Amino acid sequence: MKYVVRRILALIITMIMVSFLAFAAFHIISGDPARAILGMNATESQLKVLRQEMGLDKPFMVQYLNWLIGFFTGNLGISYSYRQPVSELIAPKLKVTLLMVLISFVIIIVCSVPLGLRAAQKSRGRLEWLRTTIIQLCMAVPAFFLSILVSYVFGIIFKFFTPGDFPKIEKDLAGAVKYLFFAAVCIAIPRIAMAVRMLKSTLIEEMEKDYVRTAISRGNDRTEVLKKHVLKNSLVPTITFLGQTMAEIVGGSIVVEQVFGIPGMGRFLVASISNRDYPVVEALVVILAFWVILSGTLADLINQKIDPRLKLGGRA
Amino acid sequence: MLEVRDLHVKFHNRDREAVAGVSFKLNDGEILGLVGESGSGKSVTAMSIAGLLPRKKCSYQGEVLVDGEDMLHAKRALLRKVQGNKIGVVFQEPMSAMDPLMKVGRQVEEVLAIHTDLSAEERKKRAIQALTDVELPDPEAVYDKYPHELSGGMLQRSMIAAAIVSRPSLLLLDEPTTALDVTIQAQILKLLKKLNRKHKISMLFISHNLNVVRKLCSRVIVMQRGVIVEDGLTYNVFFKPQHPYTQHLIECIPARVKLIARRSMEEENASVDGDQAAGEAGKAETAVSSRQAGNTVKAGGEHYD
Repeated sequence: MKYVVRRILALIITMIMVSFLAFAAFHIISGDPARAILGMNATESQLKVLRQEMGLDKPFMVQYLNWLIGFFTGNLGISYSYRQPVSELIAPKLKVTLLMVLISFVIIIVCSVPLGLRAAQKSRGRLEWLRTTIIQLCMAVPAFFLSILVSYVFGIIFKFFTPGDFPKIEKDLAGAVKYLFFAAVCIAIPRIAMAVRMLKSTLIEEMEKDYVRTAISRGNDRTEVLKKHVLKNSLVPTITFLGQTMAEIVGGSIVVEQVFGIPGMGRFLVASISNRDYPVVEALVVILAFWVILSGTLADLINQKIDPRLKLGGRA
Repeated sequence: MLEVRDLHVKFHNRDREAVAGVSFKLNDGEILGLVGESGSGKSVTAMSIAGLLPRKKCSYQGEVLVDGEDMLHAKRALLRKVQGNKIGVVFQEPMSAMDPLMKVGRQVEEVLAIHTDLSAEERKKRAIQALTDVELPDPEAVYDKYPHELSGGMLQRSMIAAAIVSRPSLLLLDEPTTALDVTIQAQILKLLKKLNRKHKISMLFISHNLNVVRKLCSRVIVMQRGVIVEDGLTYNVFFKPQHPYTQHLIECIPARVKLIARRSMEEENASVDGDQAAGEAGKAETAVSSRQAGNTVKAGGEHYD
């Protein structure tokens, strides 16, 4: 229990540090938000009123605290280019991306664990060169190329979905999930290949350990040993990898969203950067950072459940 | 019980045979010592008996009969029925021989889960009984511990518990005390002797250390370069070695240790002779107590061997 508390405390501290850095950075580069909103023709008094309204006349630390409180209460400021609250702009996009990332994460887990086990079992087989080649190929194919391929084959030839016509989640959840599934596959494939390769090499390494011999001397066959002992021992590096993946697929989704025409966070982020819509970019950057930190912490907590030795701060 | 007939094992990546024609018999209830330096083929012999040879990486011939069945050429399915059930194995490094992520109790009862239809409760009961048999303090607590929470000696006791929980007729001990310090070593040896008497388990004790073997085994086989060079009663091998290699091994033991060894062995022989009229329990106790007396005197010289 103590470990969990410590880990969550560390999580909060990291989040505060990240948000502070992000806030400070945008405070420096964004110049005068009041002028950005009102434009070059605004008078000095108009600017002054708006600054007061937005709390920009207060000291830096006070502004940061207000912003942080706003962040957690859903008040992320006003978008420069849309003149709308940032939270209202982000929420629907966040929902889409989150759904896609979750689907893709499920695909990754469901595929990579059994495939990794198979790959480890068959690692001395005759078709090893073929498996290695396929894995290498899947790892090397860029996500945007896969996206084009998938939308062409499944969208245009087989007409499983209509590329560019993304149904609204609120109206047609099943349709949206179906649409997102194809995008999620494109994000997942290179990740699955990486996870399989890693799980395979970890499993093979573990199979050489002494406790495997002990388990066999008790009358287990190799498959049982693999499932009962070796898999659990190989899980820690795999879950660390999956934690990183969970964080990285959000970044990877930007390109895929672009190709599939999905109105997600990635596309919105790119658009906001080119519009210099700093409140939006700032909020998205902090959300992404939190997502990364959260994934890492979650992976650590799960690992600690699997391997109680990690509590001692020994093996990392 | 166990009979090895003209066993040959050759690994494909080696020129020399690891085991080149080894034959011996292990009688019911006997503790047989198998001594030799690294590479003498003693561990390979044990692995052949336990069915743990990497069959694809070596060629092998001869027979390893366990209760009349040939383990060397047995099908895997048959082999698995014997492994753990009839033959228990204890390895050298208790730390690495145990699955670090499985609780000790679960590992002890694993054999029962594989070979019997006992319920989970029944298995736990048997496992705790086995942990009690190996004289672990607070066996219920040990049952729920992870290997990293136990000391080397406690782990090796747990390994022994895991090996005897199914009441096998044969226990293979592959250098079980080598990784432990001298005091723990003496305790484990004492425990093994007790288990041998109590449960009538035959044991094949493998060691590079003649002095350790002397304390436990009634008979000793000395191996060198894949062949048996000497086979006899411990006392005879120790004090009237025939083969030059054995003589050389004996020479390496310091004179003081040898003297104490002779004294304690003669004492034990005498006590066993004298006990023959007395009951079984009395016999065990005298032998153990005379051993204890021997151990305390020897403790100083022990680390030379």
